[in-house]
Amino acid sequence: MDPSLREPLRELLLSVADDKFLLGHRNADWTGLGPILEEDIAFSSIAQDEIGHAEALYQLIHAELGGATANELAYARAPAEYRCAALIEQPDEFDWARAIVRQFFCDHFDVLRLQRLAMSNWKPLAALASRMLAEERVHVQHADTWIQRLGRGTSDSHQRMQNGINLLWKAVAALFEHTGGKDALERAGLYPPLQRPTAALWHEAVRQQAAAGGLAIPAAIPDLESPDGRHGVHTPDFAELLAELTEVYRVEPGAAW
Amino acid sequence: MLSRIRANIPDKSAEPALPAEPELKAYEVFIQLKRSEPHVHAGSLDAPDDEVALEFAREHYARDQQCVHIWVVPRAAIVATDYDKDLVWRNTDQSYRLARGYQDVRKKWEKFRKKKDVDEYQKLDLKEGF
Repeated sequence: MDPSLREPLRELLLSVADDKFLLGHRNADWTGLGPILEEDIAFSSIAQDEIGHAEALYQLIHAELGGATANELAYARAPAEYRCAALIEQPDEFDWARAIVRQFFCDHFDVLRLQRLAMSNWKPLAALASRMLAEERVHVQHADTWIQRLGRGTSDSHQRMQNGINLLWKAVAALFEHTGGKDALERAGLYPPLQRPTAALWHEAVRQQAAAGGLAIPAAIPDLESPDGRHGVHTPDFAELLAELTEVYRVEPGAAW
Repeated sequence: MLSRIRANIPDKSAEPALPAEPELKAYEVFIQLKRSEPHVHAGSLDAPDDEVALEFAREHYARDQQCVHIWVVPRAAIVATDYDKDLVWRNTDQSYRLARGYQDVRKKWEKFRKKKDVDEYQKLDLKEGF
């Protein structure tokens, strides 16, 4: 691999891992609070998957690109060194509609992103991404199920879901921002583009699924208003989230568990 | 320690009470650990429909051990005996059906094979055979 590509690759992989790590953490807050017992367990289990994916990516970064260990990457970076998108940073305030819509938007995006990574000419990444892709499709199926059932449920559930979509729609552009050096990674075959732009494919997929639930997805993705997490600029919510997430680690960094 | 974020769980007591989940159905879950092995009963769950039941089953019963296949069956579809009314095991002495005698056969057989006489016998047997 061209040495000049190592840093852009690290940035890209951190963005994938950080999205998953923070989403898993946000969703894990629902443990014990899910709408019904079965979904409580299912949602917690999926949250664990996301954190597991993040761990595997942090390990890959450490093993193949060197530098900080997986634990240090997860817990010991400064806020500006995280590459997650603003959509994930927002609290859901224990509004189930918002949690599901966030999961729905993120999972559909992740499937597309993992498809690209699974086509990478860098074998360790392609192998890991294709394993994660199969699991991510299960997550998408779970999110679609809820979108459709709550969208077609009662007028109350429909309204809550539509409100969730409308609220989070303002931040979806954050998913499609790129980390530095993306073009070089694409040219080198490390992060091959899909046949059509990721945002267009994503928009089509979420529109189709939402429509099956009788829910409306706006016709265009708005310009980015929220901070660009892909370049380390985060929402005020992120500082609070990270402080809590790293609280135990910071008690004694490097402690063996 | 509880998450600080959880200190912000909104108070929903003013909202109308949720209906008592009348649409949930009970399902029994069976998992298969390897292809060609039997599906074994893993537990049960409640779900609104078959598709969600399968999703719940995957997250509940197929995550703490390696599984290759899942069945979910609406409990209402299971035809079963009645504990009080139906005779399942016969009332009279059925010990002759339990085939307990076979448990000792293997031990007897192993003990027998350890005897030197067996080797001697087999040598003779072969000679005479040819």
